Amino acid sequence: MSATLARAVPANAAECGEILADATRNHRTVRVCGSGTKSYVGDIEPADVELGTSAIAGVVDHVPADLTVTVRAGTRITHLAAALARAGQFLPLDPPHPDDATIGGVIAANSNGFWRTRYGGVRDLLIGTETALADGTVARAGGRVVKNVAGYDLDKLLVGSFGTLGVIVEATFKVLPQPAASEGIFAELARSPDVFAAAHAIVRGASPVAACVVERGEGDTWRLAVEARGTASAVRRAIQDARREITVRHGRAAELGDDLGRLRELPARATDGALVRVALPVAATAPFADTAAGLETFAALVADAASGVTRVHLAGDDDAVIQDAEALLLAARVVSGAGRVERRGERLRTRLPAWPQRPSGDALMRRVKDMFDPAHVLEPGRSAFA
Amino acid sequence: MRGLVALLGPAKVLGTRDDLLLYEYDGAVDTATPDAVVLPESTEDVATLARFCHEHAVPIVPRGAGTGLSGGAIPVEGGVVVSFARMARILEIDVPNLRAVVQPGVINLHLSNAVAPHGLYFVPDPSSQKACTLGGNVAENSGGPHTLAYGVTTNHVTGLEIVLSDGTAVRLGGKAIEDEGYDLVGTFVGSEGTLGLVTEMTVKLTPLPEDKRTLMAAFATMDEASETVSAIIAAGIVPSAIEMMDQLATEAVEAAVHAGYPLDAGGILLLEVDGPRDGLDDARAKIETICREHAATEVRVASTALERERLWAGRKGAFAAMGRLSPDYYVQDGVIPRTRLPDILRLVKDAGARHRLRVANVFHAGDGNLHPLILFDSRLGPDELERAKAAGLEILTACVEAGGSITGEHGVGMEKNCYMPLQFRSADLAAMTRVKDAFDPAGLMNPGKIFPTPSRCREFAFAATAR
Repeated sequence: MSATLARAVPANAAECGEILADATRNHRTVRVCGSGTKSYVGDIEPADVELGTSAIAGVVDHVPADLTVTVRAGTRITHLAAALARAGQFLPLDPPHPDDATIGGVIAANSNGFWRTRYGGVRDLLIGTETALADGTVARAGGRVVKNVAGYDLDKLLVGSFGTLGVIVEATFKVLPQPAASEGIFAELARSPDVFAAAHAIVRGASPVAACVVERGEGDTWRLAVEARGTASAVRRAIQDARREITVRHGRAAELGDDLGRLRELPARATDGALVRVALPVAATAPFADTAAGLETFAALVADAASGVTRVHLAGDDDAVIQDAEALLLAARVVSGAGRVERRGERLRTRLPAWPQRPSGDALMRRVKDMFDPAHVLEPGRSAFA
Repeated sequence: MRGLVALLGPAKVLGTRDDLLLYEYDGAVDTATPDAVVLPESTEDVATLARFCHEHAVPIVPRGAGTGLSGGAIPVEGGVVVSFARMARILEIDVPNLRAVVQPGVINLHLSNAVAPHGLYFVPDPSSQKACTLGGNVAENSGGPHTLAYGVTTNHVTGLEIVLSDGTAVRLGGKAIEDEGYDLVGTFVGSEGTLGLVTEMTVKLTPLPEDKRTLMAAFATMDEASETVSAIIAAGIVPSAIEMMDQLATEAVEAAVHAGYPLDAGGILLLEVDGPRDGLDDARAKIETICREHAATEVRVASTALERERLWAGRKGAFAAMGRLSPDYYVQDGVIPRTRLPDILRLVKDAGARHRLRVANVFHAGDGNLHPLILFDSRLGPDELERAKAAGLEILTACVEAGGSITGEHGVGMEKNCYMPLQFRSADLAAMTRVKDAFDPAGLMNPGKIFPTPSRCREFAFAATAR
């Protein structure tokens, strides 16, 4: 560990490669940083170099008629959204921290929101990448066309790799025309079985919704946020169907305000205690939520009923939080789900690892890491398989 | 051969000349005879044969139904072909979690048929779906007409059990939408048998759309049909499928299938929108209007399920129908940004003319994924295939120059591995090699595929001077 942290802000892919090659030669560890919105993830220690991508920014190419956009990695999601909106299009990703998050960070952290089941996640929308590797070379994968099976799909390998394999400098995504209409409801239901039954009925219904999220916070009530996007008639039908599923279960439905934004920002608010994030087979979400709500340190739960991605905030900094976090990860694994401690307060950091369990296939993952970063200089501490 | 029989028993190993000849070809144009064929019945069998091959440095070539269109299942460097014909069971249909767990030999359409009573289906629907296997779909990252709105195989696989070339079995992912660590499932899908053997897979099942509308639109020229595709997308409509066919393809299809396509049309579009019933007729009406604005000579809407089936039967039977026009065809699979359709289609036609060969086009226009079928007659001499390949290379070069890809869904295989440097620089290929070396350091999995090989690619100047 070095005393002083060097900060590097390369202007382009080649400069980025030079910094990485230099780090590899000199065995200096590198932290990669977009806007730093997700710097809480992982068991990270101070690195020798912090590489910021903020100067590698801007939209490279947007071809509305092809429904594709190529953008540099340091571009903020909001900037990209504004550029696309001028052509009546949007990138259907709704990750946490949307005001500051960069494209590169969203890819590296596989940062998805609640629209994932409707539109696909980062891995489904990403069609091409350019990445600076640890040896300084710059490798392209995929391309700019929506369908492409030439060579290995390195784009997928980079999604969720947290900068451990290289620094993404450019990406191409599929985009979509903005929907003509959108509408949502926010409902309260008394019992957990009711809220999940309603959620599953809505998710499986004939008219697909864009988001269907269960919340349990303070107090005993369960809440359900539903958003529909599409043609006016499809949205009307979806909301009508959702309202019916809620009403038959004695729920009270109101207009959706910025509730989805608030639910999406749970990671931003969970600065104390522990935030456990799991991906579950969807049918396992309801029993998992019940388990979570019954825990001693339980504070809040946000479950994407469509994708099975669930976050649980546990409050406090004593051993009870650690026990509860480990119990939740175990409960996820029992139903063949997977998860991590996504964020935890300073006092828990040394006692509660981000990935108490290794994923299946960890030996193979280590081999991939060794091939791309033999000196292990990239993002130490950000690997589930270390 | 004797060693394999000793390990697996005579019933699982084929080695006579007659047997081996059945495994020397696939759906493409290249052939090579394997040294032995193994028909494993379990993951343990696969691991056993991989360990044997590892110990004796024998190449391993996985094979599904042999419908592949890039020579992916051809043992170009000899070795053992592994047929998954006996690992063809649907292990679990998990309706609450919208997943199925299957063995790799299950036929694509059989899965959709098996889950249909639950109101579900498996989305990827390659034209060969009545024969091709799900393991093959994973290897090739197969597409089909409906990938425009719903994605290709990689978007529908969440878990894999694979056996590596050293015999290790590894489970990756599962029924959840993602796992922690690297997305090795996504990395493996589309690796064309070069990283390992799939022994089990977990796939997404999707609720069948409530309803659909299928339209056929005829145009005097391919240009008009192409421009209609861009206009529909520009209007904010993303149909579940937009397929295009030229006059020569229509002629073959009508002779074979009688789908009811007009024979005098220069270009035909087959379009489908699906989803909740509300809004479908609006979308259909908008599409109809756009077609007519672009001088469609006829727009026909399927009013019954039978009519829809008939329209689709023409498209799905198109490759098979080519026998009506020519004893052989060589199909390419390049992709272009769809706005470039009109000029690239003209170039395709010119490439055929230059090499004195007819070219029929039937392809996924919405994705910009071309399928020029270059017609030739191998009975007239080896020069015919050579000219077809030369025309194909010109077409792929144009696709890459237009910002596209040499393959959208058929794979690189041994057919286009020499062309990879057209699309990728040496640094790009080197990055892919790192993945290969992590999974298969011994280099035994399906050698001679995807990556350019010095021995076979020498004649291609661009391959020798990788950019």
